[in-house]
Amino acid sequence: MSEIALHLDSVSKDFGRIIALRGINLDVQPGEFVSILGRNGAGKTTLLNIISGISTPSEGEVLLFGTDPAASSNKSKLAVISHEMFLYSNLTAVENLEYYTQMYRVEGMEDKISSVLETVELTHRRFDLVSTFSRGMMQRLTIARALLHDPQFLLLDEPFTGLDQHAIAMLTTILKGQKAQGRTILLTTHDLHIANDLSDRFVVIDKHRVVYDAAVGALGVDELRSRFFSAEGAQS
Amino acid sequence: MLKPSLAIVQKDLRMEFRSKESILAMWIFSLLIFVIFNFTFEVSRLVMLEIAPGLLWVAFIFSGMFGLNHSFAVERENGNLRSMALMPVTGGSIYLGKFLSVTIIMLLFETLIFPIFVIFYDLQLTATLFLLIPVILAGTIGFTSLGTILSAVSVHTRNQQILLSLLLWPLVSPIIIWSVNLTSMVLAGEILTNFLPLLIRIIAFDVIFFTISFMLFDYILED
Repeated sequence: MSEIALHLDSVSKDFGRIIALRGINLDVQPGEFVSILGRNGAGKTTLLNIISGISTPSEGEVLLFGTDPAASSNKSKLAVISHEMFLYSNLTAVENLEYYTQMYRVEGMEDKISSVLETVELTHRRFDLVSTFSRGMMQRLTIARALLHDPQFLLLDEPFTGLDQHAIAMLTTILKGQKAQGRTILLTTHDLHIANDLSDRFVVIDKHRVVYDAAVGALGVDELRSRFFSAEGAQS
Repeated sequence: MLKPSLAIVQKDLRMEFRSKESILAMWIFSLLIFVIFNFTFEVSRLVMLEIAPGLLWVAFIFSGMFGLNHSFAVERENGNLRSMALMPVTGGSIYLGKFLSVTIIMLLFETLIFPIFVIFYDLQLTATLFLLIPVILAGTIGFTSLGTILSAVSVHTRNQQILLSLLLWPLVSPIIIWSVNLTSMVLAGEILTNFLPLLIRIIAFDVIFFTISFMLFDYILED
């Protein structure tokens, strides 16, 4: 049996008196695409911070590929894409990617950079400063940056926020390609249709707890919305 | 460990030489200090020589504060400090990279402003003036080794500049005071017997500050 990609056992997190997560149990298999859904403030980003190792849980255990997420060996297997770009606007696209290849010790820097820039259709802007890029182009460069070191696990924190239709379509295609290559993907989003199109499984977090965890198709998008995201659903 | 640190230095220097934002601002600020003090107070050359070492270090340190703030402000932009925490490198490597880039920028600025200081205060170019090189190096390294980690601590806060000043000044004061004392000796051409012990004391502080900061930087990057 292959090693489980992610294991969360009774994970809780609080910031003083503010509760962010309560007793989260979650297992993700290698190659699985899981979408985490929830309202603003449900704790999705906190959960992703814990999984990526930059935040530690107040209680519970987190194992990424069987070890501590903060272990250096895990960090090279992981890539995070969020609404924060992780880019330097006063550097060109190539200079940003060069920096990341050095930090992640990527072999064959030039070929790798050319390849990821081609994937996100930014080759023609490679020598332009990032400060001259549109939001969509910056997000595409962020995707290129995340794919540079061939991560086994992709953590996507609302990556579709603020993107135009072309950029959404491109990101969707790239994510389908990554899934086809066997990458494990965890996505947080508000967009049920995109999540439905991409994922194998839905996990809904409400009031800091997992309230739903099932394969895509177990409930339709409309039923999911009415149960967990409508005003009435929130009351129940 | 050195490769990621050098990548950070390369990235920081590339951005600095492209914008020249830090060095230009630091240089203009220091120039203003020299001009104001030189033309406002009509004092004898003897008195001026007494206050000049203090002025030089005021210029270095206040400008250095700007450099430190700027160095981590660019990391806050677009969540880059968070991205550093996600990288498969140790906090020590990141600290070393940021420390080296801040120190290089500050030493470069000091090299550019020192000739102006010599001209304004009519200093004699004697052989003893070369003794300022180890003094400035040791004082600057002490300031940047501590300033780098405290700047990383304060960058998450809303009042970054105030917090950095509050944290940095009490700790770095001994180094600044000793550096001013040593600079006074060199400018006066009177190298006293306590010159070397004082310089060694600054270097010892540098080593302590650097080592502690290097070891603690992983905790700074945590959420």
